[in-house]
Amino acid sequence: MPYDDLRSFLNTLEKEGQLLRITDEVLPEPDLAAAANAAGRIGDGAPALWFDRIQGFTDARVVMNVHGSWRNHALALGLPKETSTREQVEEFARRWDAFPVAPERRADAPWQENTLTGDDVDLFRVLPLFRLNDGDGGFYLDKAAVVSRDPEAPDDFGRQNVGTYRLEVVGRDRLGLQPVPMHDIAQHLRKAEERGEDLPVAITLGNDPVVPIVAGMPMGYDQSEYEMAGALRGAPLPLAVAPHTGLDVPWGAEVVIEGVIEAGVRQLEGPFGEFTGHYSGGRRMPVVRIERISYRTDPVFESLYLGMPWTECDYLVGPNTCVPLLKQLRAEFPEVRAVNAMYTHGLLVIISTAKRYGGFAKAVGMRAMTTPHGLGYVTQVILVDEDVDPFDLPQVMWAQSSKVNPREDVVVVPNLSVLGLAPAAEPAGVTSKMIIDATTPVAPDRRGNFGMPTRDLPETAEWTQRLRSLLAER
Amino acid sequence: MESASSGREATTGGATVCPRCAGEDVTAVASSPVPGVWQVLQCGRCLYMWRTTEPARRTRRDAYPRQFRLTAADIADAAEVPPVPPRVAG
Repeated sequence: MPYDDLRSFLNTLEKEGQLLRITDEVLPEPDLAAAANAAGRIGDGAPALWFDRIQGFTDARVVMNVHGSWRNHALALGLPKETSTREQVEEFARRWDAFPVAPERRADAPWQENTLTGDDVDLFRVLPLFRLNDGDGGFYLDKAAVVSRDPEAPDDFGRQNVGTYRLEVVGRDRLGLQPVPMHDIAQHLRKAEERGEDLPVAITLGNDPVVPIVAGMPMGYDQSEYEMAGALRGAPLPLAVAPHTGLDVPWGAEVVIEGVIEAGVRQLEGPFGEFTGHYSGGRRMPVVRIERISYRTDPVFESLYLGMPWTECDYLVGPNTCVPLLKQLRAEFPEVRAVNAMYTHGLLVIISTAKRYGGFAKAVGMRAMTTPHGLGYVTQVILVDEDVDPFDLPQVMWAQSSKVNPREDVVVVPNLSVLGLAPAAEPAGVTSKMIIDATTPVAPDRRGNFGMPTRDLPETAEWTQRLRSLLAER
Repeated sequence: MESASSGREATTGGATVCPRCAGEDVTAVASSPVPGVWQVLQCGRCLYMWRTTEPARRTRRDAYPRQFRLTAADIADAAEVPPVPPRVAG
């Protein structure tokens, strides 16, 4: 049963023991961010956090860490909360095959209940804004879906983009926006600015739990995130038309902000503590001029803490980065078994693959670097055999420690592209990339002494079950 | 914008200055719904925004970490990302 809005998902989280209400009064800073930061430090089962007694506010509701554990990620996909990480990724990949699932048009969106326009537009009247990290230049919206259309194809639904970009509040009606060049909105903005036109945008906050997953997913330029949401939900995503821009937005959003990215304008933005575990900023970035805010009565402000991993961000973009890479690699190399791209949005990727012939695994590694996502990420690839689980890091370390002969199995390619935020790049946007081939060499690559591997005993699977049963019955 | 002269705790000495760049063009952009608890202030030069009840390391110039400070040169030399593309005729 998919969720059509954030509130219905929060109800489920609460019933499943995965939402914690903080009943004491808290300070907007540093308590809200510090609590969400701490959620990432208490283990895999961390709950979402709900705050409604925040100093100085009379009527604020803030929720954080909604996707911030494997349990919550499983529940967002409608899976049992105990579902393992690998099983969640595999189920995600199965549902992907249903893409595209056309959205459903629905009237009477709850966010139509309240509207601010003209001089009344004021983010502070609608949202209990607050700072996340010490060095952040201001208060950010960092879990919103930003919707825009291709100015050269304004009627093309597939090229309408839905993405998550950091948005800094730089005024009551102004937001700094960071479009990474590899992301679709940067292409929309470039086309608009080449024409000297503003780019209309709709920014939706507090979405149903699948929209943030697809908004952070590296998809093809002409693939619709909304149609992917339908596939992942197993049901069409309800959409409504934003009244000011005509853009398609989630029916179930808490808040819909509409306006334009002003052509030719750049203003100081940041810094912002990023998903890389480092700040970035101090550059001039595009600016959104807000012209209309629509919102549900008693809106819930959803925010996401990110900083030194792991944080909610890593759970949110972990599986959704693995699956596109898996699909793109398998399209040409069906030998690929599994892809773990959960480290810093796929800056490091571990791929399990069978080998067609000697040298094959290295080719898979190079292909990973040249996928659309790989152009901006995938600086390191570790290749492991088909019987190694890339999600089981001790197994991966065993493969690397025992199979790798560094001179032949480590390949470094200089001067390749990477997103500007990658901290190790030099200059920003350019890096070397590395393949570590930890697969067993196969003919005609006859290196090493791998002829007699030990394997799990044939009876081990049965004993695994038996031990689990005995332990469960104690 | 209202004046920030009524801002609390955001001063070094008398005048309110930006903790990040020491700019003196500081205005209030929001006030707490519960009157008198806090204000949100903003620097007109570097756009830094802060709430007056935040810890000193975010609100006071003398306590603001050096690695996050901005100079007038940092602001003037900040790169455009992405660069504004040239207009295409037609």
